This record gives sequence, structure tokens and C-alpha cells, in this order.
Amino acid sequence: MNIHGDLKGERDLLLGNEAIARGVIEGGVDIATSYPGTPSSEVMETLADAANESDFHAEWSTNEKVAFDVAAGAAIIGQRSTTIMKNAGLNVVMDLFNTIVYGGVRGGFVIVVADDPAAHYSSNEQDSRFAADWAEIPCLEPADQQEAKDMTAYAFDLSEKLELPVLLRTVSRVSHGMGDVEFGDVNKEGREPAFDKHWGMPYRWNVYGPPGPVEKHRWLKSRQSLAAEESESLEWNYLKSDEGGEVGLIASGIGASYAREAVERLGLEGEISLLKLGISNPLPKERILSICREMERVVVVEEGQPLIERKVGLIAKEEGLSVDILGKTTGLMEDVGELSPDGVMEAIGEVSGVSVFGGEIDESVKREIEGLVAPRSSTFCAGCPHLGTFWAVKRAIEKTGGDIPIVNGDIGCYEMAGYGVFSKGLDTTMTGESQKYRYESPYELIDTNYVMGSGIGLMQGQLQAGYDDGPVIGLAGDSTFFHSCLPAVINAVYNGVGGLFIILDNSWTAMTGHQPSPCTGMTARGDRIEPYDIREVVEALGVEDVRAVDPYDLDKSTDAVVDGIERDGQFSVVISKRECTIQALKADEYGAVSMEVDAEECVSCGKCVELGCPAITFKDETGGIDWNICVGCGLCVQVCPTDALKVVEG
Amino acid sequence: MSRIRLLVAGVGGQGSIRASHIIARAAVNDGLKARVGETYGAAMRGGPVASHVKIGEGIYSPLNSRNGADAILSLEPMEGLRNAAEYLSGDGLFLTNTETWIPYDVNIGRAEYPPLEEITGAVGRITENVMKFDATSLAKKAGDIRTMNVVMVGALDSALNLPVRTETLKKTVRENVPEGTVDVNVNAFELGRKAV
Repeated sequence: MNIHGDLKGERDLLLGNEAIARGVIEGGVDIATSYPGTPSSEVMETLADAANESDFHAEWSTNEKVAFDVAAGAAIIGQRSTTIMKNAGLNVVMDLFNTIVYGGVRGGFVIVVADDPAAHYSSNEQDSRFAADWAEIPCLEPADQQEAKDMTAYAFDLSEKLELPVLLRTVSRVSHGMGDVEFGDVNKEGREPAFDKHWGMPYRWNVYGPPGPVEKHRWLKSRQSLAAEESESLEWNYLKSDEGGEVGLIASGIGASYAREAVERLGLEGEISLLKLGISNPLPKERILSICREMERVVVVEEGQPLIERKVGLIAKEEGLSVDILGKTTGLMEDVGELSPDGVMEAIGEVSGVSVFGGEIDESVKREIEGLVAPRSSTFCAGCPHLGTFWAVKRAIEKTGGDIPIVNGDIGCYEMAGYGVFSKGLDTTMTGESQKYRYESPYELIDTNYVMGSGIGLMQGQLQAGYDDGPVIGLAGDSTFFHSCLPAVINAVYNGVGGLFIILDNSWTAMTGHQPSPCTGMTARGDRIEPYDIREVVEALGVEDVRAVDPYDLDKSTDAVVDGIERDGQFSVVISKRECTIQALKADEYGAVSMEVDAEECVSCGKCVELGCPAITFKDETGGIDWNICVGCGLCVQVCPTDALKVVEG
Repeated sequence: MSRIRLLVAGVGGQGSIRASHIIARAAVNDGLKARVGETYGAAMRGGPVASHVKIGEGIYSPLNSRNGADAILSLEPMEGLRNAAEYLSGDGLFLTNTETWIPYDVNIGRAEYPPLEEITGAVGRITENVMKFDATSLAKKAGDIRTMNVVMVGALDSALNLPVRTETLKKTVRENVPEGTVDVNVNAFELGRKAV
């Protein structure tokens, strides 16, 4: 989508992330950095397309920390910069995040964090607004796509006024929702980079330089009153007062959008006061007091944990007000999962004594429909190279004794090997021993999985602690390998640990929508570059036992994993390398084989189902292929012990 | 108040997200407010996709409320059914393609796909307004099976009183489909309009 250039006054339907990208451009950015992560990735995808024409630097960095540091470096020399990440990405940047504020920035520095309440695409539901309170910087919260754009552009000005980074916290429902947006002016100054090491403060950009961290922290404190003034007059905070009601609403971010609809559905328009907030730190105290003084009960609606609610409670208490602050701390709304239009309406209705509109359908109809609906489980794509890798891992574990392995997974498409989509009735009894579980598909194979780069570290801990009830394996994809596995590989070599580390290299950051990884050979802006060869990197880091295999060759892949497992006490690496099937098909570089099914030959062993490919069918105990989605990878032919599934000789 | 709330349901790869964008963008082109809320999870292709579309006055959030959708545009019968109990209003329209996309779970014998009559029968207990037709065949007739989503948008335009002009919808179709496919898509839109 074209979102750059002079479009002032035009309207279009934008994804929240596209709106943020437009805000970045309107704010006159000089440097933009990011690492892919749903639901934030489309911001950089959009920016990268616009970078050449709008004259700024855009990059996919190796990880969020590098992205953050690069952007901060530009801000120190007066350039407008932004760095964009998902919720989990914020955890990767916390070091400089909590330290750059001791001295702040010269050019506007906007940190965009996309949270994911309800964990649609994430391993946690963290509320990143707390980080802004922790680091003592402003946190803006857009309610919709228009605000997302406008606030992003404003955040650069705010950052320069306060000389502090500004956090823009968006959520999935804003970032991955779409709304009508009116474009504004592009405010590009084209200022030259300038460095002054004592800019308004001795050793401004060296936290240890005199007067040192404590004085620089004191400076940070001194900025807070200015931030509070800005919050008090912020355009996106506004009060809609009623006439003499008892119930007030304070609603921030996307919560305000649900609240406004709820007020209408409950027929409370004109009867309820609403303070809509676009900022969670610092709060506009006077505005909050103005609603708390008038009301007996105030409901706080916010996406995430009850951050504003607690702060409002404190503000009211300090002022000696008797108002009841109601929300997630009082059990009015659940503080797990995300807000919903109905949940917000019910909460407001309950406090206001208005019964909720009942348009719900009969319970018996609901039950009938639930009984009819079949699941449509998340699976690997047909012909995914990971299917071959996981088949090899499973077979290798069986071949090397079939005892109790620990497969430490990581973040990427391959994490689906731990989704447990067909598992049910699991025995969760706690005993003191290792427990063996059967698994029939790749979807039950991964045993541990948390965050990027953690698998290879967990593996080392298990081995150093002496686990010997089975093989210990770590997994990572190519993008994850470069993101956060390099120090752990060095750690394994240097501290002399064993274990098998399997790198599933499909040449793309696939799960987040196929952004380039250092193995792709392309930058964010589409420039060609020599790709990294992971084998060379691993060998350069001192790993002696390295094997590279093609996951479409199941026998060789299985042998490589067996060899790796049997290298007891020596750290070994298997690189399972084949381009993501979707990308290979798109590039018309996929070498499909022609296959056919001979049902007469099927012995109903179910091996084809065990492979886990969604193109496999197994009706009436007979293996077959769903030709609508089969891509002709030939993996199922390799697992079929008879000629029921076979390659047609050309 | 002129306002329409829809849910577009389908399987990843069928173009349900593009269909929802066309409807919402057409609304913006006609000067209306629009919101789209969508979930596309881990599965690139073959997973359930539901897209909420709200156009007109008084809309702020991107999600439909419980049984608050004026229509479900169902690109695949069971995906329409999956969302009907939660979102379809008691006098809403259920407009479905009859062509099924059998889930992997069913293909490997871990679940059953109900007969079409049972799906429409169950929805018929929510609303009397159930319409079905073979949009996939019409897409083939238009010249490309991948235009099924646009066939469905055309059908919605004639089955429901959208606050968007047909001409604007058609223009938005033209502007939002891949280069070189404009004619087949406009064809698909027209075939859809005549189908219901």
C-alpha cells in the first residue's frame, strides 16, 4: 500500500500497523529499525517499502536489542528514530531501555511495542505499559487506527520536548485491525546528524561520565513535571460529562473504543461521564480528579493489567475522595485474556444498574452447533521441510533406544511441533521420576518452549545438571539462531557441554510473514546481499561436530540426528536446510514430484498420518492424498512402507 | 442509524480477508467510517479465518458483539457455522458458499464433517434468513476459482442492503485485486450479484 508522500487530507482504510508506519513518516523519521514479530511486523514491512522514496534508513535488525541500540545511536546525534517490536521483543531490549533514559535523547525516539492480549500470536500476555512506568517515560495508547497514526507522529515532538524516549503501546486489535484514517502533513526537516558530548549535561551520552548515574537519574526525575503538563493537555484525553449521574468511566486505548460502543448499547448516552485516555504514563491527574470528585463509582476500562486503575485509586486516595474505583482489581472484569465488546458492556451495565440487552440465542441451539462443528487444527503447511526434520528426530529417538528425550523447542513455525493438536486425556500426575509418553504425530514432539533462543540454553542446563534418562535436544530456526543463539553456542563449546542442537534453516523468518533473515540474501529494502551460511558460522564458533542435511531426504536426516545423539558428551549441530515451501513455490523454484495413490497396496499402518502433513488423508483406514493442497514434496512416499503412495516415474 | 456489522468467515487461502477489506474500503470510499477486526493465527493456509467488518455510523471497536452481526458471509459452510452461534443476530443473514474445504482433522478420521443440510438446518434455528449457493462454481465460470471471495461479495451486495453503492463496490474490487485479474474479478462480482 502506498502510504508515503503528500497525501494530506486523503482518507483510506489502513491496518493499525500501516497507520503507525504513516505516523512514523509524518513524524519525519530518519532511522527505523525492527525485528519481525506478530502483531508488529507490518509496521516495518510498510516502512521498508517507503524508505527509498521518503529518504530514511529502514532495516530488519538481527534482534530487537540490536534494533533498539541502532535507533538509540541515531537519536543521540539528533536524528529522529523509531524501533518497533512485539511484546516479547521489549524483554530483549530492557538493558538500554532502562538506561538511555539517564540522559535521554536529542532527536525524537519513538519505541513502538505491540502487545498481544489473549496471546493470539504470542507466548505471553504481558502488559508492556509497565515498562514505561519503570523507565519513567511517557506511554501513549491509541484507541484506533487514526489515533495510532496521529499519536506516532506526535510522539516524535513529545520525545524532543522532553528529551526522553516515548513508548507507543499498541495491541493486536489496533495493530491488526483496520480503520478509516485521514492522512496529515509529512514533517520532514532533513536535519543533519550532530554530536555534542556535553549537550546540556556533562558526558550526556555516557552514563558513567560525571556527574554519574544517580545525578542522571535525578535529571530524569526533573523531566516528569513537564511530562505531566503534556499529559494534562494531551489532545487524546477528553472528558464527556453527563448531567448529575453517579457512575463515571475512565477508558484508555482500545478499551475506550469498546466503552463508547457499550454506552450506546446500554442506552446510557448523556447519562454517563466518560474520561477517554490516550496515555497511561504520566496520567492527567487533574482530569482524573475532575471525574472522581463528581462520581460515586468510576469504572476503569483498560487493555492489560489494571495499571491505570491502581494509579487512579491512588490519586483518589491522596485527595481523600470516597469514590469507588471498579475494574479488574475488584473482579468486575477479568484481568486475564483481552477485553471484549460484551465484557465491557456487562461491566458498565452491572455498575450502572442497567440490564444488558438480551439478543442471545437459545442454549440448545448453541449446543447443537457445537456438536456439529469439527476442529480445523493448526498444522504445518503441506510439504513443509520441518515435517521431514521432525520425522527424522522422532525416528532417531526411537533408533537410539526410545528412552525419555527432552526436546527443547523455540519460537518459529517449528514450534507447532509442540501444539499437541491431537492430544487428549493427558495424565498429569506428579511423580519423582522421568515419565515416558507416546506420541504419534510431530505435533506432540516438543517438550519445552518459551521464548526466542531459550531452547539451546535450557538444553545445556539439563545436561550440566546430569540428565541421562534420554537424549537432550535443542531446536532453533535460522532467524532465531542469529537472533539469540550465538552466545549460547559459544557457551556450549566453551563450557564443554554435550547435547544436539538442530538448526532448521528455511532461509526466512517464516512464521511472522516471510521477512528476510540473515540467510535470505536480501535486506528489508530488497537489496541483494551475500547470505550467511550457518555451517560456516557454527564451525567458526568452534563446534567440531557439524552435519548439514536436506530434510526432504528422510534417511540421511535420520542418520545425522542419530549420529548427533550418539555423540554422547560432545556438543554437536545438525543443520536441516531447505527453503520454506511457500517461498519456493512463490519463486517458482519448487521441484515437485508427481505422485499417485494405490489404495490396494495400503496396509493401514498409519505411517503417512504420523508424518503430520495436512495433505494426507486416512479415510476407512486407507492412506490417501488431498490433491487440493498437496505440493508434491514426496515425503509421504518415503514413509509409506508399501507402494500405496508412490512417485510416478516420469 | 445507518450501520452494518458483518462477519466474513472462511479458510486461510480463500481470500476472506481480502473480501472484508473490499467491503470496508468501499465504505471508506463512499465517505463512511469502517472497522475491520481479524484473526489470522499461526496457520498460513488451511486454518480458520474470521474477519469482523463494521461500516457506517457509531462504530469504534473492530469486533462484533455477541449475536450482533447483521450477516455472516460464509466462504466455507463449516466456518460460517463455527461463528454463527456466537455472532449471528436472530434476524441476521447467513449467506454461504456450498463448496466445502474438508479439515485435516476430518481427512485423517479424527472428526466428522456434517452434511450441508445439517449445517444450514442448525443455522436455520438462529435465523430464518439462510441463503446458499455454489460460489466456487461461479468463480470457475468467471474465469478463476480464486475469485470465489469476490463472487461472495457480489452476492452480499444483492442480498443485503449495504450502505455502500454497488458502483463503489465494483470500483473497489477493480482497485484491490492483483494486476491482470481485474476483468475476471468484475465478472465474478456480477455473477455473485445475480446468484441470490
